[in-house]
Amino acid sequence: MPWIKEAWEATRSMGQSMGVVFKNFIRKPTTVSYPYVKRELPDRQRATFALLVNKETGEEKCTACLICQNICPSLVISMVKEQRNNRGFAKEFTLDLGGCIFCELCVQACPQDAITMIKLWENADIDRDKLVLKKEDLLANQKYQSSEIIGSKIREMQAPPKAPPKAGETANG
Amino acid sequence: MISSLIFSAIVLAGILVAVMYLTLLERKFAGRLQSRIGPQRAGWPIGYLQPIADTVKLLMKEDVVPQVADEKTFNLAPIVVLLPALLVFVVIPYGDNLILADLNIGVLFILAVSSLSLLGIFMAAWGSKNKYSVLSGMRAVNQMISYEVPLVLSCLVPVILAGSMKLSDIVTFQEKVWFVFYPVLGQLAFLVFLISALAESNRMPFDITEAESELVAGFMVEYSGMKFAFFFLTEYAHMLGISFIAAILFLGGWGGPLLPPGVWLALKVLFMFLFILWIRWSLVRVRLDQILAFSWKVLFPISLVVLLLAGIWKVW
Amino acid sequence: MTSTMSLTAEEFHPLQTQVEQEGNTLLINMGPQHPSTHGVLRIVLKLKGEEVVYAEPVIGYLHRGFEKLAENLTYIQIVPLADRMDYISPVTNELAYCLAVEKLMKIEVPKRAAYLRVLTSELQRVASHLVWLGTYGLDLGGALGGGSTLFLYCFREREIILDLFEELTGARMMYNFNQIGGVRYQPPDGFALRVRGMIRKLDQAISEYQQILEENYVFQVRTRNIGVLPLELGKSVGAEGPVLRGSGFRYDLRKNEPYCRYEDFQFEIPTGEKGDCFDRAKVRIIEMKESLKLVWQALEGLPEGAISSRPAVRVAQAVKPVEGEVYARIESPRGELGVFLVSDGSAKPFRLKWRAPSFSNLALLPHLVVGHKLADIMAILGSLDPVFGEVDR
Repeated sequence: MPWIKEAWEATRSMGQSMGVVFKNFIRKPTTVSYPYVKRELPDRQRATFALLVNKETGEEKCTACLICQNICPSLVISMVKEQRNNRGFAKEFTLDLGGCIFCELCVQACPQDAITMIKLWENADIDRDKLVLKKEDLLANQKYQSSEIIGSKIREMQAPPKAPPKAGETANG
Repeated sequence: MISSLIFSAIVLAGILVAVMYLTLLERKFAGRLQSRIGPQRAGWPIGYLQPIADTVKLLMKEDVVPQVADEKTFNLAPIVVLLPALLVFVVIPYGDNLILADLNIGVLFILAVSSLSLLGIFMAAWGSKNKYSVLSGMRAVNQMISYEVPLVLSCLVPVILAGSMKLSDIVTFQEKVWFVFYPVLGQLAFLVFLISALAESNRMPFDITEAESELVAGFMVEYSGMKFAFFFLTEYAHMLGISFIAAILFLGGWGGPLLPPGVWLALKVLFMFLFILWIRWSLVRVRLDQILAFSWKVLFPISLVVLLLAGIWKVW
Repeated sequence: MTSTMSLTAEEFHPLQTQVEQEGNTLLINMGPQHPSTHGVLRIVLKLKGEEVVYAEPVIGYLHRGFEKLAENLTYIQIVPLADRMDYISPVTNELAYCLAVEKLMKIEVPKRAAYLRVLTSELQRVASHLVWLGTYGLDLGGALGGGSTLFLYCFREREIILDLFEELTGARMMYNFNQIGGVRYQPPDGFALRVRGMIRKLDQAISEYQQILEENYVFQVRTRNIGVLPLELGKSVGAEGPVLRGSGFRYDLRKNEPYCRYEDFQFEIPTGEKGDCFDRAKVRIIEMKESLKLVWQALEGLPEGAISSRPAVRVAQAVKPVEGEVYARIESPRGELGVFLVSDGSAKPFRLKWRAPSFSNLALLPHLVVGHKLADIMAILGSLDPVFGEVDR
């Protein structure tokens, strides 16, 4: 009788689904108890910013050339320039993390490798004013730098091939 | 007189606390099935304070009554839904001679009283005066009436086999062999009972009335605060009731070898409860007309056949 | 009956409480906030009992002004903006845009960049289909119940893919990975090894889902013979992707008009027979496995070399295409994603038009839903897989 076969099919398939679910019951859960156990982040993770300082001389690398300010799609960087020791310095450097879209174009564009993005686990805040990073916060963040991604590194990665491409080596054959 | 008053107070308090902590058990069990840890923070590390936190939260919420709603029906509905679910526990034997009211018609009392919740559900749907609630209420009436018939017929099988409707008699009759172990007859009757009871209490895979993905929370959509908590508690009280009844009618009640009777009953109820949870968290929902077709075309004939088999067994 | 789209709130309310004379129908609004419309979609329904007589989707709740915004940004700044169109599969959006600009400027992309683009696009396709599968479970089974179990399992597998992307680019969703002329980052050390390990895990998990879904009686009963799409209707509306392939039409832009070196790879195109929801679901699940094969092949054949044929952009005005217009299209997880770009020789585009696949797929909804029950609307909408970021732009 066809409906007995159908009933048997139904029961067997539902039992199979329940079996798969039960297998997960026996395994270790995938979630961890968050505030006491934190996740390992990869080095390149982009969460917040740091302004870098030259390791030998101790001078800030940023010369306030305004290149990052011009390339930012959301216009969140603003700075005030001053002249000292025959080069420019950024007297004030403000970055509004609340408007940033984390695209890393500013890092790619900086000719002095002065700005980089660092990894951070908790970036959120309850006060919107705290998200506007001033120059002191950005300089203080540089001790967390762990990624290799600075301007010259990105430009080196994206450098075009030295010799003109031979046949069979480009995207269109 | 005094002792029965104290006993009933203990049973009431016990059932309410058990229902509260069953929500926690469900959430932890569901969490492990879904490869995650359940609630943990309230009452670290197991989360034993979570039901209390939930109760306090629901008590603190504002009681919103829609302006166009029918106030008397709207306000009475949670009570009408909760009381029959709790009344079922009056006739259940918790051990040898530990029963609140050993009625001669125990099984009939359970079946009659537990269907009164349907009236409360329809009062809630109608009183909310909201198109989604009315749709869901009509679905609920449809579903619960259709599944009454297989439920009653499958509950009659232990009655026929034991020869009496008294629950304590049914338990003592199963001292040697539990009803679920009777060949073909026992397993079929147990399955039919389980499926019909799940449909009666609106649990997955038959919870089309509270389908969150179509009619957001169905008939409960306009309730907030403690009234919502009543509906929630009713669902868990129903589930606990079903586990108890299944354990008593089919799995042998408090009988069993080595361990004391209370422990056996608790183990069986826990096993049935976890089984119902396991079904809920693995299967997707079935559509309403398919549910009704299933009940009338499949379950009803099977339950008639099972009843016939029970009669034949008894006569032999 | 006049269209309900043009009614104001005051006019709609008395209609809502009116039960119409002909045929006892009920006018109901499945509003923009709903747990199961995949985003903000409003559907105006006329029901007769439980059966649907008329359905009309009302869109525009997520309009963000992308095409106008793109006219004020330079070409390199539009790449992170294009990420955010179809937010479930960002890499394919960037790819479509970059292909359009490269076609206009006649730039050749090096082979390593093309293979990396294929690698990330196919991983993104698997992630997008996993989101579809999880939310389909939620539609069918409910947020508390068997559906949410499937949802959490799918997202657990998707975490694997997002972790890989985080290692490669630094972000879990909006990567800004494709640039004009190639891609942006070289893979870090040990990346290939980890990708291979993850492919094995994902393959096992997807085989498990294939088994429990295709044979599951309740899933079949909910999706067979529901929302049958006749091939002519699909072609006339402009539907594409798994929606059209479910009706038996073997058309995939990766095979019919290969871009980005897809002709180097071997993979199959699954099709369905009848065009019901079950066939569309089956097509997507098999597509996931084919994508994993593509990732493996891309990894095996990844050549050494440069990843971009233009130097990294430092000044926003450096990219200046010649005057002209171009249309480039790719196969996104939802169908054909097209970018029409008109340039007037300056550093900002004159007009950027985004041809979204979900927009055309959504136009099928009023035709497919008539005659089915209320509970089937969710199954049909889920099988069309719309993402409202690209429907509304």
